[in-house]
Amino acid sequence: MARKVSSIMARGTLVVALAGGALGIGRGALAAQVPTGLAEIRTHCAECHREVSPGHFDRISEERKTPEGWAMTIFRMRQVHGVQLTPQAEAAIIQYLSDVQGLAPAEVRAGRYALERRPNVPDLKLPDNLNVMCGRCHSVARIVLQRRTPAEWLKLINFHVGEWPYLEYQDGSRDIAWWRIASKQLPAKLGRLFPLRSAAWRAWQHRPHASLAGQWIVHGETPGHGAYYGTALIRRTAADRYGAHYQLRYADGARFDGASDAIVYTGFQWRGTGTLGGQSVHEVYFASADGARIRGRWFLIKHAEIGGNWAAARATGRAEVMAVIPSALRAGTTQRVVVVGRALVGRVNLGPGTQTTVAAHKPYGLILKVSVAAQATPGYRTVRIGGVSTHDLLAVYQHVDRLQVQPAFAIARLGGGTLAAVDAQFQAIGYTEVAGANGKTTAVRLGAMPVTWSVVPFDAAAAQRGDARFAGTLGQDGLFVPSGGGPDPRREFSDNNTGDLFVVATHKSGRGSVVGKARLVVTVQRWINPPIY
Amino acid sequence: MSGLKSMNQKAELLLEAAEAGHVEEVTAMETVAGCATTFDPGWEVDPFGGLASLCHPMEADLYGCSDPCWWPAQVPDAMNTYPSWQEGKPSAQHDWRELDPVMPNTDAVFPKK
Repeated sequence: MARKVSSIMARGTLVVALAGGALGIGRGALAAQVPTGLAEIRTHCAECHREVSPGHFDRISEERKTPEGWAMTIFRMRQVHGVQLTPQAEAAIIQYLSDVQGLAPAEVRAGRYALERRPNVPDLKLPDNLNVMCGRCHSVARIVLQRRTPAEWLKLINFHVGEWPYLEYQDGSRDIAWWRIASKQLPAKLGRLFPLRSAAWRAWQHRPHASLAGQWIVHGETPGHGAYYGTALIRRTAADRYGAHYQLRYADGARFDGASDAIVYTGFQWRGTGTLGGQSVHEVYFASADGARIRGRWFLIKHAEIGGNWAAARATGRAEVMAVIPSALRAGTTQRVVVVGRALVGRVNLGPGTQTTVAAHKPYGLILKVSVAAQATPGYRTVRIGGVSTHDLLAVYQHVDRLQVQPAFAIARLGGGTLAAVDAQFQAIGYTEVAGANGKTTAVRLGAMPVTWSVVPFDAAAAQRGDARFAGTLGQDGLFVPSGGGPDPRREFSDNNTGDLFVVATHKSGRGSVVGKARLVVTVQRWINPPIY
Repeated sequence: MSGLKSMNQKAELLLEAAEAGHVEEVTAMETVAGCATTFDPGWEVDPFGGLASLCHPMEADLYGCSDPCWWPAQVPDAMNTYPSWQEGKPSAQHDWRELDPVMPNTDAVFPKK
């Protein structure tokens, strides 16, 4: 533990505790530097969680978690056991525990979707019966993002049974020997799958944390708005704190600037608060081990389901094409194209049937003017700039053959009273079919297409209930906003404004209309909204 | 299964799956992370992925869910964790707007604005 503490002391916030002198031991003032988080644990947690050796606390030290996982633990300590913490003390404890008992990048990867609060993501499929045993109530990401000893997994199971005893009587439990499985099989199984001690964590603990300060090139996509690009300037403001300024634009030229303050936990987990395009956002990003890339998702503070993907790479480095915006060009058109990348110099070639001129060199890449011949061959194009080439970031198409509405299955929730509704954002991804050399057709992804949006009932029962009329409204940006909650006297049985719908996207081109659809269930509220769903 | 006789079509299908060794492949619809997959009757969706078998309206039985802990990840349980959640709100039908979300401080990992 001493090694862990000293490594944190080297980069963490410190307080100075006067030990011997203050106690009148008579050996003079012995100054010992203690991380703030450790001091707060000793003050607020050690009364129950005995410090069995310096920095090693009963139970606490038998677990590793993400910052969100530790925040949920502290919430439970407050809710169930009455622990009182100031926001500052809570933040210090989360920071400290995330650093000394966190997860390595490889251990976070599988459950990242939950930390990024991605909506309408199919949950992970765990081996054996773990989805039924653990994932019936909450996401299995909560499990995947923890590491414990088998004895600690058993204590977690014991806590579940004591706190929520009805879980043994529910569908999925009452028809199996739930307790025998939970108490005899699960602890060892979970301890093997998600162990406290791992090579990945040992290696990460010994690795110096890379500074994220510097100039960055950014690109991403906001479903409903499209792709954006630009630059970021990140400054280090304290040991694990950063300030960032963003200069971004959407493909149509609209500015999408912003700024944020961020805490970096465990050396790679960026958690930011700021603004983007004038809206208040949180950022959940992850830096690569070498500090050369940052990826993740930002989302609106009051609507985590609304957000966008984020990718950043250092502005200096070897030549690289990171993104092409737009990602598909229709034959017979001339368009402005942004190639996002770094060190892009030399001749630009987008393949046969294209004429390209470089309109401008920018810090984030190149702005091109591209004309595509009416008879240009459809398919993915190799983008060559100087000595750099990339093969799957740009496509040429004659027409859209197929639309795929994403997400294919979505949940929206009614709001009202103290709860905000949970919206659902859709986008229609276009594909063109290209004949291959082997006679088979290949679907070439074109990216988000301009479409008109509508809703229709999912089935006859939904039509009879009038779901499409009551459940909410779908805007022409693909955003579904649910109606208000509560019993609605206009509906049969004063039903809620729930609904079972198809969301329909229609793309019109010279060859007629192409239609795609997805299912949308507008359902009831959820009053428990933790950071890991 | 030799001592059991299927009584309806679903049971027949399950029996066929069992005999073919495919029981493990009989799974629920695709699960959206964060939604309950306990289907008696279901919180977000019912066993068939729709809404028909849920409570209509939900408020008709909301306190029947919170008094025990039937949806412990969706509805605050008044049994142990949130004993005062519905205090002073005797009618879910009329008082649902006053029911507070729990975990109000879940943004603790982010810097304060």
